[in-house]
Amino acid sequence: MQSLIENVMLQANQKLAPLPVYTDDASIWHHMSDALHQSLFRVLTLLIAVLPGILAFFVALLIFTLVGVVASWILRRCLTWAKFDLRIARKSGTDWTPATSPTEIIARASFWICVLLGLIIGVSAFDTSYATGTPLPISLLPYLTHAVGAVLLLVAGILIARFLARSVLISAVNAQLQYARFLSLGVKWLVLVLTAAMVLDHLQVGGDIVELAFGILFGGIVLTLALAVGLGSRDLVSRSLESHVEHTGERTHIPEETTSAGSPIRHF
Amino acid sequence: MATANPIPDETSVAERATADLVVYVTAMAAEQFKGVLVNLEATFSAENMIVASENELPADAPTSLRIMLSPPANPNWMLRPADFVAAAQHGQEHEAKAILILGPGADSLSSAALRGLADAVLSASIDLAVPQYTLPPHAGLINSAILYPLTRAVFASRIRFPITIDLGLSPRMAERLANVAQRAAALNQGDALLWPVNEAVAAGFAMDEVDAGPRTVPQPSDPDINSILALITGSLFADIEAKAALWQRPRRAQPFRRAVIENAQMDGNADVARMVAAFRLATANLQEIWSLVLPPNSLLMLKRCSVLEPADFRMPDNLWARIVFDFLIAYRLRTINRGHLLGALIPLYLAWVASHINVTASGTPAERHIEAVAAAFEADKPYLVARWRWPDRFNS
Repeated sequence: MQSLIENVMLQANQKLAPLPVYTDDASIWHHMSDALHQSLFRVLTLLIAVLPGILAFFVALLIFTLVGVVASWILRRCLTWAKFDLRIARKSGTDWTPATSPTEIIARASFWICVLLGLIIGVSAFDTSYATGTPLPISLLPYLTHAVGAVLLLVAGILIARFLARSVLISAVNAQLQYARFLSLGVKWLVLVLTAAMVLDHLQVGGDIVELAFGILFGGIVLTLALAVGLGSRDLVSRSLESHVEHTGERTHIPEETTSAGSPIRHF
Repeated sequence: MATANPIPDETSVAERATADLVVYVTAMAAEQFKGVLVNLEATFSAENMIVASENELPADAPTSLRIMLSPPANPNWMLRPADFVAAAQHGQEHEAKAILILGPGADSLSSAALRGLADAVLSASIDLAVPQYTLPPHAGLINSAILYPLTRAVFASRIRFPITIDLGLSPRMAERLANVAQRAAALNQGDALLWPVNEAVAAGFAMDEVDAGPRTVPQPSDPDINSILALITGSLFADIEAKAALWQRPRRAQPFRRAVIENAQMDGNADVARMVAAFRLATANLQEIWSLVLPPNSLLMLKRCSVLEPADFRMPDNLWARIVFDFLIAYRLRTINRGHLLGALIPLYLAWVASHINVTASGTPAERHIEAVAAAFEADKPYLVARWRWPDRFNS
């Protein structure tokens, strides 16, 4: 009897409640919601997969930094107690400043070696924890090592550029070349452009475009300098070369730096 | 080894081996060596002397001399570490009381100079006898500008020529210099310069200067001022750095024991304009490098000097003293590459030379100006000591 009544009520509801016209929208929202949830789930899964590796990286770095601090402190104390600087100074005849003493150098080196070890171990820990059980291929780690190499390359290139620029500047000034600064800047930028091209090539950025652009730029700079020297600055260069030859002739024989009164200038 | 004078058989071994004076003659041209032998024969005819040399014996060498020859070597413009080692060895072998080292061009030395060097060691018990040459005006300017003032201020030594090519040594001085030379050779520095005056001060040995008159001073094969200044000044800076513990103690300066030899005054129409132009070019281009080495007040004074006309160009003595001290500090601290540092000093040195020529042209005797420069170095020694001990303090 009760079931009969329920059936009747159901039929009545069905008759009374027409089919809702928004049945498709609810599905769309449901589907969208599902898709968002799934993508969020994937991101969270990926993050969860990566987080231990990141945590391992920082933990390893922190531990080895602390080890480095302790090791450098111990080394500094031991070498100071053993009068290491004094022994080295006696052998080499050099008086060290406190900032550049052998003890300080060794202590700092030990610290940074520990930090570097921590970095290496942290990266390998990150790699290990990330690579296991993840469907996504890891492509960032080799790029990270390339980036480190590129940074080192950039630093070395900048140092070499500065050194060469300074060498050229001082030599050109002592040779009394009026365009000493121009020459120094040219050398510096040549080395920097070369360094930039090497860095981009190391990072595998740009490919042939970078090589081509570098070739054009470098060749253009060199050609410009050659044209300036050969054609555009003939008078200036010939005057500089003439004065340089005169001074070289004077310098090759120090006594010939004669005064107008005839007394030679001899520096030695 | 060959001997010009064969020793008679009846002479005892001890008498054959010993000599009061050993004269070590470094490698030089054949004519010069012959001239030296003639001078030695005339000067030390009564002495018990042996001559050791790295030269070939000339055909007409004096026969009265006892000469010991080593394999010939190439002449050098300065005494090498090997010369000191060889001289000390010969001195030890023959138990000499005095050792003379004579460098290339020694044939131009007078007999009085040779006698003076030997007597200072033999008779006056001096460990290091250094000749004081009479050089032409405007000669030996690196010595006048840097070497003499710096050694006088730092080591309280008034030896006018701290580095010479002729020396008179006692056996213990020769041994000390030989040890230093062997250390240099062990460090593969066969062409390193030795500083006998500094070594004598460090050892507390007695020194004296001997008036040697005019002498032909050999010039380096590459006489470019750029390389010479860097070589000599860098060597002195390194020696001062090595002896830092010694010269920072208060020292009493040696009293004057010689008369200051005044050169004939010369006209000042020298090539000052070119040197001032070089200084101006450096002022315009090397400010960035100089600012790493020199304090702001020195840079300001240099800028003021750069606007002076060549005829009126003067560099104050105390400015030059501080410049040299600051470069010495920078050499020790390795503020910049040492080669760059010494290269950056060259235009400043040329500015001093131009100033010196102008000063002498105005009537001041050259030696008086050099003595004034040296006095300025002495007066500013506390500045050097302060900066040496506290390098980060730039204002003193």
